[in-house]
Amino acid sequence: MNMPNAAAAGAGIVFDDEFLRKLERLELLARKMFRGLLRGEHATPRRGRGLEFSDFRHYRPGDDFRHIDWNVYSRLDQLFLKLHASEEDLTLHLVVDASASMRFGMPSKFDHARKLAAALACIALHNLDRVGVGAFAASLGASLPPIKARHHMSRLLEFLGDLPCAGESCFGTALREFTARTRNPGLAILISDLLGAEDVEDGIEALLYSGHEVAVIQVLAEEEIDPPLDGALRLVDAESGRELDVTVDRELRRLYRLQLDRRLQRIESFCRRRGVEYLRASTAIAFEDVVLKYLRQGAHLR
Amino acid sequence: MIQFAYPLALLSLVAIPILLALHLLRPRRRRVVVSTTTLWQAALREREHAHGFRRLLRNLSLVLLLAAALALGLALAGPQWPASASAAGDAVLVLDVSASMKTRSGLAMTRFDQALAEAARLIDGLPRDGRMLVMTSGRKAVLRTGFESDREPLRRALAELRPGDEAGRPREALDLALSLLRGRSQGRVYFLTDGAYESSVDPGSPQVEFRMVGGPARNAAITRFDFRQELSGEDRFQVLMTVKNYTDAPVVAPASASLDGRVLFRRSIELAPRGEQTLVLAFPGRALGQAAARIDVDDALAADNQAFAAVNAHERLRVLLLTKGNFYLESLLQALPGVELFKTASASVADIAQLARSHDVVVFDGIPAPRLPPGNFLLVNTVAPGLPFADTGRAARPDALRRGRSALMRDVDLAAVRIDEARIVVTEAPSKALQRLFWSPETDLALALLHDDVKLVYLGFDLARSNFPLQAAFPMFMSQSLEWLRPRGDGFLSAHVAAGSTRAINVPAGESSVIVRGPSGSAWTLEAKDGTAHFEGTADAGIYRYAIGDTERTFAVSLTDARESDVNGRWRPRERQEEARPAGGGRQALVPLWPWLLAAALMLLTLEWCVWTGSRNHA
Repeated sequence: MNMPNAAAAGAGIVFDDEFLRKLERLELLARKMFRGLLRGEHATPRRGRGLEFSDFRHYRPGDDFRHIDWNVYSRLDQLFLKLHASEEDLTLHLVVDASASMRFGMPSKFDHARKLAAALACIALHNLDRVGVGAFAASLGASLPPIKARHHMSRLLEFLGDLPCAGESCFGTALREFTARTRNPGLAILISDLLGAEDVEDGIEALLYSGHEVAVIQVLAEEEIDPPLDGALRLVDAESGRELDVTVDRELRRLYRLQLDRRLQRIESFCRRRGVEYLRASTAIAFEDVVLKYLRQGAHLR
Repeated sequence: MIQFAYPLALLSLVAIPILLALHLLRPRRRRVVVSTTTLWQAALREREHAHGFRRLLRNLSLVLLLAAALALGLALAGPQWPASASAAGDAVLVLDVSASMKTRSGLAMTRFDQALAEAARLIDGLPRDGRMLVMTSGRKAVLRTGFESDREPLRRALAELRPGDEAGRPREALDLALSLLRGRSQGRVYFLTDGAYESSVDPGSPQVEFRMVGGPARNAAITRFDFRQELSGEDRFQVLMTVKNYTDAPVVAPASASLDGRVLFRRSIELAPRGEQTLVLAFPGRALGQAAARIDVDDALAADNQAFAAVNAHERLRVLLLTKGNFYLESLLQALPGVELFKTASASVADIAQLARSHDVVVFDGIPAPRLPPGNFLLVNTVAPGLPFADTGRAARPDALRRGRSALMRDVDLAAVRIDEARIVVTEAPSKALQRLFWSPETDLALALLHDDVKLVYLGFDLARSNFPLQAAFPMFMSQSLEWLRPRGDGFLSAHVAAGSTRAINVPAGESSVIVRGPSGSAWTLEAKDGTAHFEGTADAGIYRYAIGDTERTFAVSLTDARESDVNGRWRPRERQEEARPAGGGRQALVPLWPWLLAAALMLLTLEWCVWTGSRNHA
C-alpha cells in the first residue's frame, strides 16, 4: 500500500514516489524489547497473544482455559498452559533540535533534520509503529504525541514543517523535560547539531535513564566543517548573539577544525561508551542517501 | 639630551588618543553569523597561547597609526640633537694620562680604556672639514699630534698612548689647549678625564667640554716613602712610610719595605675610614741601595701600592770653596773621595744665591759671608749675618776643649788640638736647630745649624793659626761635616723624584751624554749641556739607572702623591657646566631631527595603509 504523497500536507517536505517506495521496504529495529500499547510487529516482553509458540507453564487458577494444551494433559494428566510470544508496536520518539544554530547552513541543518525525521516517521508508520515528535531548544517546545495510523502522516509532516527554529539550546533541561512527558519508552532518535551548549551528554543520559534506546544523528553544515571565512570578521553567535572579533587566517581555520574534531570525537566516544548509536550527517550529503545508505548501515534500520 | 625648538607643538600629541578613539569606532569588521562562537573562541585561545606576540599583530594597524602620530607630533616640536662631536671647527682632544686613570673601572677595563673609547668616538665623529689635535695631560702637557683632518694619524696616536704613574696637572694642559685654539671661535677642547683633581683646574672656558669616565673605586695608597739618618747615631737610619685609606671603610694593609733585598719591616697597618698612618722605623746598618715599599691590598689602583727610593746614591759632592788661599783646606777637599771642588777667590752677594743652588756645599774660608740664601754652607773663621749666633770678639789660645756627642764628632780627637786665636760667638737663645760640636770655656768653636733652608757647619778659628789641620781629627771632622751637609732635602737620604717630573743629571767635564735605563729596560740617551742632562721620561715608577764613566748610579721614581691617589675625590663637570656655561652661549651644533621623524611617520603611514588594505581584501 502506498502512502499518500506528503507533498500535499508536508509544508515544504516533499518525498517523491520512488523514495517513498524505498522507505516502505525499510523497517525500524530496536535492540531492546519494549512493551507496546497495541499489537504490532515487534517482539515484546509480554507473552500470550501472538502466533508464535514461546513456552509452557503450569496452570494456575484464573488462567484462560483456551490456552491449556489438551494434548499434553491427555498424555501427562497435568494442566499446562501453552505460551505464545507477543508482538506489539514500537514507539519511535523523534527528538529534533530546533535551536537557532540549526538554521545555519545551505541547505539549513534544520531542513535536513526535519526531512530525516519525516523519513524515519514514514518508515515507522508503514510498519505500524507509533511515532511521536518533540522539538526543543532551551526547553522542550512543540511536541506531537505518538500517532500510529498511516493516514496521520500528513499531520506529522505538517507538524514538522511548522516547527519554529529559534533560541539557545540546552540539552540537559530540554531532554529531561521530554522524558518526563513521555509515558512509554521506545526508540528515541535525537537529531541535532550538538553544538552550542556543552551539556549534550547530560541530555543523552536523561534519555537513557528513562529507558529509551537512544540513537543520535548529528547534523552538520558543510560551512561548519570547513568554514569559508577569511580576514577581519565580527562573528555573531546564532544562538546567544554574542560577538567575537577575529582575524581569520589559515592557521585559525586549522585550529577551529581541530576544536571541532575534538568536540565530535568527545561526543562520539561518549555515545560508544553508553551504547548509543551515533551517526554524523553533513548537509552536503542528500538526506535520501543518509536514510537509504548510512542509516541502514546502523542497527536501527533494516 | 634632546631639545625642542617648539615645545608647544607637543600638544599635537593629543591626536594619539583621538586616533585611538577613531580606531575603536571604525566599523571595519564584517559581521558573519555562525552557529556557535564557542569553537572559534577556543581556537583563538589556543593560538594566543601558542603565539602570544600575535596579539599585537591583531592591532598592528592601530600600533602603526599611533607610532606615526607620535613621530609627527615630535617632528612638529622640532627636536634637536646636540651633536657636539660633529661640530665644525678645530678640536683639541686632551687625554688624562695621570696615574688615577689606571684605576680599574668595570670588568678588565680601566678609566683610561674608557677614555680611549670615548676619544675614538670623537675622532669618528669628526666632520670632514674639521681638524683635531691630540695631547695628553700628565704632570706635563704633551702634544701627540698636530691639527689633523685625517683620522688615521689621530687613531695611531691614540693607539700609542698609555697612562703613567704621574700625578696630573690638568690646568697646564687645558691652558695649552685653549692657547692652541686662540683665534678659532669654533674651536673646542674635549678633556677626557676621571676628574681626580680639584675644581680649580677648570679654566672656566665654555670651549672646554669635560668628558668624564670612571666611577667610584676603592683605594689605599703609599703617599710617602723616605729615608733619613738619625742625628744621634752615626749608623742609625730611619725609614718613613705613610699609608692612606681613601675608602669609607676600614682597611687592613699588610705593608713592607726592603732595602737592597733586606726586609726592613713587615707589618699590618690598620687604617680607619679616610684615615692615614705614618710609620717611622729605625734600622741599623748601611743605608745604601735600592729601596722598595709595598702594601698588599686589593684595590682599584695598583700603581700607588708601591714606592721606590734610591738610598744614598753616590753622587759627587760639588763643593765651592771661597778662599783667598788655604793650603790645608784645598788639599783636604781635593783628597776627599766623592768631592768635586770648585774654587774662587770672591763672589758678589748677588751671585751667592746662584752659587748655592748650583753647588752642594759652599765653603766660606775667612771671607766675610753675606746673609745666607737657602743652601749648605761651611763657614770657616767667618760669621754671616742673620744667624742665631753672632761674632762678638776674639779669644786668644782657648784651651780645655770640650766636645759634644754629635755624629759629626765621631772619632774626632781634640786632645792635641791647639788654637792660637778663635772668634767669640754668642748664641741668641738655646735652640734645637743649633748643635754645639766642640767648644772652650770662652766660646763655641764649632757649631752645626739646621735652620729653615740653611744647613751650616761653623768652625770659629783660622785653620792656619792652629794645629787642627795637622791632626787626624781634621779630615774626620771635615768628612763627616760634608756628609752631613750633603744636600738630600730635609735630611733624607733617598734620591727619588715624582713621576713625570724632570730629573737633572750632573755630567762631569769630558762627558757629553748619558744613557738612562728605565725600570722596564727602555733606554734614553741624553745630551748634556753646561754639565747637566735633563731626563723627562719619568712617567713610570721604579728604579732608573744611568752610568757616568765607570760608575752606575740610580734614582727612584714614585707616584706617592696623596691627591692623585684620591681616586674618589672627583670633581663634577655638571657643576661646572651649570656655573660656567653662559646661557645661550653653548657652541653645540644642534642637529634637527624633524626630517627623520617626518620620514618615519610617512613610512609608518604607508605601512599602515598596506596592512589595512590587505586586511580589508582578506575580509
